[in-house]
Amino acid sequence: MSDLSGASRPKLCPGCRLREPAGESDMLLIPEGALRLAGPGRKIVERCDGQHTLDDIVRELKAEYPTAEPSRIETEVNTFLERLHQKRVIDLES
Amino acid sequence: MTPLSLIAEITHRCPLHCVYCSNPLEMQVRELELSTATWAQTFQAAGELGVLQLHLTGGEPLARTDLAELVAAGRKAGLYVNLITSGIGLSPERLQALTGAGLDHIQLSFQDSQEDEANLIAGTRAHALKIELSRRIKEHRVAFTVNMVVHRRNLERLEEMIALAEELQADRLEIAHVQYYGWALKNREALLPTRAQWERSLAIITAARERLSGRMRIDFVGPDYYAKYPKACMGGWGRSVILIDPAGRALPCHAAGTIPGLEFDNVQARSLRWIWEDSPAFRKFRGEDWMPEPCRSCDRRTQDFGGCRCQAMLLTGDATATDPVCTLAPRHDIVEAVIGQVDSTPHDGNWVYRIDPVSMVERT
Repeated sequence: MSDLSGASRPKLCPGCRLREPAGESDMLLIPEGALRLAGPGRKIVERCDGQHTLDDIVRELKAEYPTAEPSRIETEVNTFLERLHQKRVIDLES
Repeated sequence: MTPLSLIAEITHRCPLHCVYCSNPLEMQVRELELSTATWAQTFQAAGELGVLQLHLTGGEPLARTDLAELVAAGRKAGLYVNLITSGIGLSPERLQALTGAGLDHIQLSFQDSQEDEANLIAGTRAHALKIELSRRIKEHRVAFTVNMVVHRRNLERLEEMIALAEELQADRLEIAHVQYYGWALKNREALLPTRAQWERSLAIITAARERLSGRMRIDFVGPDYYAKYPKACMGGWGRSVILIDPAGRALPCHAAGTIPGLEFDNVQARSLRWIWEDSPAFRKFRGEDWMPEPCRSCDRRTQDFGGCRCQAMLLTGDATATDPVCTLAPRHDIVEAVIGQVDSTPHDGNWVYRIDPVSMVERT
């Protein structure tokens, strides 16, 4: 199991999914809990499909939020995915 | 206030006879079990109330032949569906049907890492089957939790149990110390670990969590009796959980039936919303008005809500007392006396096994 890097392809673990339909408060449902997704959370999680690399996700988020500070987007995506990985919500495929 | 979880005890029937079963001593018989349609309506009502998680449990939920339909009904209601099972009765075909119906999470309970001891606790031979079943579960896209119940007789093998969960490739390991209600209370003197055992288990868990971070999530529930402060039982009375028993009675927790004077409304007679918001049982210990001192003026009252009402009832005879596991409780001496005896009393080998609900036909 690798650590998070630009080439990692995060993928939601079995039993972790977005609550449908998307609502005012987006929820990521996980075993024995739920995480409330704020800000760009949903957009990041939607890209955790085992296809996008971390670098892809950062690039696409930068395009979604053109007025935000690019380095801040990078840090936030990293921190967020690191946390999801520790909680075993995403696996990192290489 | 929005409930987050619905615990559906869909049957009390079970092929296991675990000496620490959390079911009440007075169980509901098959003839009184809710129909598929009533459960489906109840899940729908729960979704509308804001519930996120549905826990299908028992007894052994697989004893219901309509389990896959219930899973589908839960998903249709927008719920995350979790199955808590011993695995007995889970054939490859049924597993396929359950995951096909949208099951999100399977929680498989183990009694030990060692076969003989596991079978002794369960009162039946189930261990080998669970190992085989774990391999099969991994072939499906469903979250897989190994649930280990720990106590005095198996705590020495905690490292082995963690290794077993790793070998079975669990996504999540839940290690829960036995809590002393119902059947477990009858076997308490044989099950409660010593303080030394408890402290050692904490150290092992801390190390394993670090080592397995990102691979296997470990959740751990300690024994109330060794806590400094009580747990926020069910996240607080009537604050986040609704439990529905096989016959449709809605309870604020597993053991609430042990509190005298409470009446539990049935989902067949009342709406789930009314039960949650207005029924006397759910309002009884909601908020702070019922609290005695030292809870009433305690800073922790918004974190632990005075602890567990059922434990207060079982140990002090008064459901409104501060949970005696709290070191600040006036009757903490009761818990200290029990702990004090743990080291000095060897177990005589007599267990009280949980029985299966006796049908009304057999009773007459």
